[in-house]
Amino acid sequence: MSAPTARRAELLPRGNKPKNPYWTSSIGFVAPGVLLVAVVLYLPFIWTSWISLTEYNGLGDPEFVGIDNFTAMFADPGFLVSLRNTLFWVIGTILLPVGLGLLIAVLSHGMPNATWFRLPFLIPYAISGVAVGVIWSFVLQTNGALSQALSFLHLPGADLRWLLDGPLNTVMMILAASWQGAGVNALLFGIGLQSIPKEPIEAARVDGASGFTLFRTMTWPMLAPLTTVVVGLAIVGSLKTFDVVWAMTQGGPGRVSETLALTMYKETFVNNDYGLGAAVALFLTVITVLASILYLRRQLADSRAM
Amino acid sequence: MATAVLASAALALTACSGGGDGGGDPAETTLSFFTDKAAWESSFDDMNDASDGVAPQLDFTGYSDPTAYDAFIKQSFRTNERPDLFTWHTGDQLAELVDQGLVAETTDIWDEAIADGYVTEELAENYTYEGAQYCVPMNVVYWVMYYNTQVFEDNGLDVPTTWEEFIDVADTLVANGVTPLHQMNIIFEFVWFQAILAGLDPDAYDGLSDGSVSYTDPPVVEAMEIWHQMQSDGYFIDPGVETDPQVLLQSGDVAMAYFGTFFTGQLNDLDMVSGEDYGSFLLPAVDGDLPQTPVIVETGPLCVGADSDNEEAALAYSQWWMTTDAQSAWSESRGDVSFNPEATVTDEGLAEITTQATSDDSLQMRRYLEATPNEIYTVASEEFGAFVTNNDDPTGHLQAIQDAADAYWADNS
Repeated sequence: MSAPTARRAELLPRGNKPKNPYWTSSIGFVAPGVLLVAVVLYLPFIWTSWISLTEYNGLGDPEFVGIDNFTAMFADPGFLVSLRNTLFWVIGTILLPVGLGLLIAVLSHGMPNATWFRLPFLIPYAISGVAVGVIWSFVLQTNGALSQALSFLHLPGADLRWLLDGPLNTVMMILAASWQGAGVNALLFGIGLQSIPKEPIEAARVDGASGFTLFRTMTWPMLAPLTTVVVGLAIVGSLKTFDVVWAMTQGGPGRVSETLALTMYKETFVNNDYGLGAAVALFLTVITVLASILYLRRQLADSRAM
Repeated sequence: MATAVLASAALALTACSGGGDGGGDPAETTLSFFTDKAAWESSFDDMNDASDGVAPQLDFTGYSDPTAYDAFIKQSFRTNERPDLFTWHTGDQLAELVDQGLVAETTDIWDEAIADGYVTEELAENYTYEGAQYCVPMNVVYWVMYYNTQVFEDNGLDVPTTWEEFIDVADTLVANGVTPLHQMNIIFEFVWFQAILAGLDPDAYDGLSDGSVSYTDPPVVEAMEIWHQMQSDGYFIDPGVETDPQVLLQSGDVAMAYFGTFFTGQLNDLDMVSGEDYGSFLLPAVDGDLPQTPVIVETGPLCVGADSDNEEAALAYSQWWMTTDAQSAWSESRGDVSFNPEATVTDEGLAEITTQATSDDSLQMRRYLEATPNEIYTVASEEFGAFVTNNDDPTGHLQAIQDAADAYWADNS
């Protein structure tokens, strides 16, 4: 647009701007996508938000009860346990699968045949969370493989009730999930390490940096964009933890190992309290989105400042 | 929510492909049939053979996840394509469907079946809401004690006929280093509560289901104390052992397992032979002075969707389902008991259990899961699960359940 034309457009009253001749047909192109997003994403969200303000058992019509579900949710000691466990999962997932993934990637970087070193860690990623749960239940049940092994080796811990006592059971399930998740993080960090330009690293080496100092001052900062993605995914994934816990303890005994995703599922489909389930779902959505925004905004701001 | 939308869509597609006709000969009709008992497909195939030419055929769709199934059925009632016939749960969950007018009334079918001796009036109570009946029983399950005959023989034990004898059996087994009883801290965590309380004070057990008895009342506390003592005495296997109960009974890791009669099928699947490898008996009442021995009965309904495409044909099927011919075929195919006392039960052990459970010496009582309103049951199952796991002071658990009961009965009395 030339300067005089643009100026004329600004001077024209609103609504009299010249229309894009393709405006009508562009609606036709955009509409299917918009409609799809509206129907499969926005509508369920709006519906869930509405249900969270009602008492509803899945049959008949929901009855409006205001914020009763939210007050009941925060007053429920089981919900607070669930919230605590979810926090454990977030911290545990960042420390273990992400930390281990980084360790594996760094140790194998530059190694001849590094793929063979990383491959075994990646194999568990190919199986589903439920299968991971079943396998680890076999290992961790009372008198299971782990207890038998500890007993055979005369090591302490054979009498521990790995899946019965909280929060030990949550810790053990985080370890089981780490077994599955570390490999893919190692893969991502491996790609990150390969994409780091060699020149600054070589320059640092020439200046005398090596080992952990080289990693801390050079490699780690240059890996930051990828770390942001890996940690961001870990936070979102851990907030939604469901399958491993469902397969291993179903949130029990009692509610001692429940996570927010499990609380949402159980309240809705097991207890038929769709209103309370929707309230938990909404709460989970809000903290997931908030955590993602806060984390990404901070990380991206940091990387811009670099 | 997305699951629910998909489930509705799936049902709509299924129903569209099936096509329905409101009239015509019911025997020529094929009904859309949904159940959460996916593993029973072969038995329903056998029932299609049995109903050929006399009653409608079933187009079977089985779910293996009961929770997903329940959500699916509920969502289907929000569409125009309702299931013709489906399995459900008695108690609170059936009441919900009846309240919404979603299931067809079956009072006439029940009246006729009772008159023909196909079913007892006692069982009808599970299906009665405000004087009318809804659905028909798909099956009936008696909760009994299964035992490993070899373990009993090795320890010189006889089948106990009183609670004192039962405790003696358990004590002998403990003394000989055998774990007497199976127990779980999920799914069936409530069964020992029901067994002990029903056998101690059947009125108190009944009273819990309508709120007239509190969970902190003396008989309930006493029942929990008995359970607590049994756990302390080492009667039960560690609930952290996740091996299947039938495998534990077969291996002798537990000598006895308190289960519904569906357990027979699971034992037979391991090639265990009734009367040789395992036996069963009614658990003696804790209070030996009771005039009748309480027997816990569980029954699952077969329901007709109100205003479904083939409602009339589905009702005709329900009527046929209760007949002796149909039930004998069912019992033979499932290797299980039948609600119809006239039906032939081929397994001698089960036939004997049926005779005892339906005799005047027994008092049939509803299983705790179905007898308890869902909101109370939810809390109770969590509390019992924790109690089984930790064997701690029962008082706190009972108070937590009573708090849930107070909240429920305040809104629903």
